[in-house]
Amino acid sequence: MMSMVVRQSARAFRVGLVWLGIFLIAMPMLWALLTSLKPKGDTLTFPVAIWPESFTFESYSTLLFDTMFVQLFLNSVVVAVGTTLLVLIVGTLGAYGLTRFKFRGAELGAATILFTYFLPSTIIVVPIYLTINQLGLSDTLTGLVLSYTTFALPFALWMLRLFFQTLPVEIEQAARVDGASRLGLFFEIVLPQALPGIIATSLFTFIIAYNEYLFSFIFINSDAKKTLPVGINFIVKTSYEIEWNIVMAASVLMTLPVLIVIVSCQRYLLSGFGVGNTKG
Amino acid sequence: MTLALDAPAARKSWRVSDPMLGFLLVLPSLLLFLGLIVYPLFQAFVLSFHDVSTLTLEGEYVGLKNYEDVLGRSEFWISFGNTVIWTVGSLIGQISLGILIALLLNTQFRGRSIARGVMLMPYMLSSVVTVMIWQWMLNDLYGVVDATLMAWGVTDMPVPWLTRMPNAMITTIMIGTWKLFPFVVITILARLQTIPEQLYEAAKIDGAGPFARFLDITLPQIKSVLLFILLLRGIWDFKEFDLIFLMTGGGPQIGTQTLPLLIYKEAFGQLHLGRGAAIAILMLIIMTIMFFIYLWYYQREEKRAAQ
Repeated sequence: MMSMVVRQSARAFRVGLVWLGIFLIAMPMLWALLTSLKPKGDTLTFPVAIWPESFTFESYSTLLFDTMFVQLFLNSVVVAVGTTLLVLIVGTLGAYGLTRFKFRGAELGAATILFTYFLPSTIIVVPIYLTINQLGLSDTLTGLVLSYTTFALPFALWMLRLFFQTLPVEIEQAARVDGASRLGLFFEIVLPQALPGIIATSLFTFIIAYNEYLFSFIFINSDAKKTLPVGINFIVKTSYEIEWNIVMAASVLMTLPVLIVIVSCQRYLLSGFGVGNTKG
Repeated sequence: MTLALDAPAARKSWRVSDPMLGFLLVLPSLLLFLGLIVYPLFQAFVLSFHDVSTLTLEGEYVGLKNYEDVLGRSEFWISFGNTVIWTVGSLIGQISLGILIALLLNTQFRGRSIARGVMLMPYMLSSVVTVMIWQWMLNDLYGVVDATLMAWGVTDMPVPWLTRMPNAMITTIMIGTWKLFPFVVITILARLQTIPEQLYEAAKIDGAGPFARFLDITLPQIKSVLLFILLLRGIWDFKEFDLIFLMTGGGPQIGTQTLPLLIYKEAFGQLHLGRGAAIAILMLIIMTIMFFIYLWYYQREEKRAAQ
C-alpha cells in the first residue's frame, strides 16, 4: 500500500517535471506571443509588466497593412515551393535510380551526396555568387531557387535514398515477373509506397528553404524581391525606435506556416527524423 | 506493337536496358550537381589563387598570396578557435539537455504528443525569429530576463549579455543549445523506445536505483546513437552562420567571430572574393576531415548492423 503511494507520487513528480521543462523551453515563444498582443506602450514599461492591461491585434494589423510583410511572405512562399518542387521531382527520380539500379559510379554518387549534404553554405556562397552572376540571375527569385538547390538537393536525395532502401524489393520483383515495365512499376508501385517519405522530405525541404537566410541576404538587393527572413529585419529596423510588439508579431506570423506544418504532419516529420538521421 | 514480336535481340535494343534507365533517372540530379555544386567548388579553388573584387568580379592571378595573407594573420586563428569553442560548447549543451528531456519524455503521460510537438518547435524556428525573440528577452531596458533576475535579487544591474566577453560567447552558446537540442531529443527518444522494458525490470529487482539504471542500461544502449549525433551535429554546428551572425555579428570586436563569419566578412564585407574563397577552401579541408571520420564510423556501424 505504502509503496504504491510512493510510486504514484514519484510518477506525479516526474510528470510535473516534464511539464515544467516544456514550459521553460516554450517560454521564449510564449513571451513572443504575449508581447505581440500588447499595445506598444505596454512593451516599454519599467519594471516589465508580464500581463498586458488589454490585448490588441494592433501590431498584426500594422504589420499586414502598413508594411511589406505580405509581399515578403509571398516571395518566401514562391521560393520555398519552387525549391521543393524542383528538388523533389529531380531527387525522387535520382534517389530511386541510385537505390535500385546497378551502374558504374552509383556508390561514388551516394558518397558524393552525403558529402555535399554536409557542405556548408558559407563555403559554397562565394563561388555560387559568381555562378549566379554569370548566369545573369543575380537579384532574381529564380537565381535564389537555383542557389537553394545546392543544399536542398543533397538533403532530399539523401533522405529519399534512405526511404527507398527501406521498401521491400520483393513486391517490385513480383510485379516485374507479371510483366510490368520498369517505369510503370515506379509510378504504380514504388511511388505510393514511398509517399510518406516523399511527404516528409518535402516538408523538411520547404521549412529549410522558407527559413534560409544567407543566400537570400547576399543575392537579393531589391526590396520587392526580398524573402521574409531577410526582409523582416528591414521592416523592423526602418523605424527610429524598435517597436517590439511589431517585431514579435512578425516572429509569430512568420512561424505560423511552419507551425501548421508541424501540427498537421507531426507523424511524417518524426518518421523523417528517424530515417534521415539515425541508423544506429 | 510489331516490335514486340521481333526477335529477342531486336527487342532488347528497343527497350532501354536497365543500367541505362538507372542512369537516366539519375541524370537530372547529376546535371544540377555538376552545375551548381561541383563547378562552383572548382571555381572557389581557382578564385582562391586570384585577387578578385566582389564588385567587379575581375582580378589577377596572385598564386598563394591569399593563403599567406589569411594564415599569416591572427584573425584567422582566433576565428578558428572561436569556431571550436562554439562547436564544443553548444554540443555539450545540446547533448546534455537533449538526453535529459528525452528521458523525461520517454514515459507514458497524457498530452505526450503535444509535449513532443512543443519540444520540436525551437529547431524549426527560423534563425531570424530565434534571434529576434532572444534579443527582446535580453533587451537591457525592457527585457524580461534582466527584469526577472533583478526582481529575484540575483543581480542589481542589467547583465551585458552580448556586449562583453566572455558573456557574448556564453549567451550565443546557450541560445544555440535552446534552438538545436530538439534534434538530440528526437533521435535519442527513437532509440530509447527500442530498449526492452525487461532490462529495467530485472535491474529494479536487483535493487539498482534510477541513476545506476541509467548508467548500466540506458547509456550503453544509446552510446552508438550518441556518437552519431556528436559527429553529425559537430559538423553542422561547425558551419553555423545565421544564428551567430544575427545574434552578435561576430562581436564584441571579433569575440564571437567564427570561420563562416570570417568568410562572409572577407568576401562580402571587405569585398575580397579571392581571400574569402581561400578561407572557404581551408574550411572545406577541415570539413572533409570531419566528414571522413563520420563516413568511417558510419560504414563500421553498418557492417556491424549487417552481421
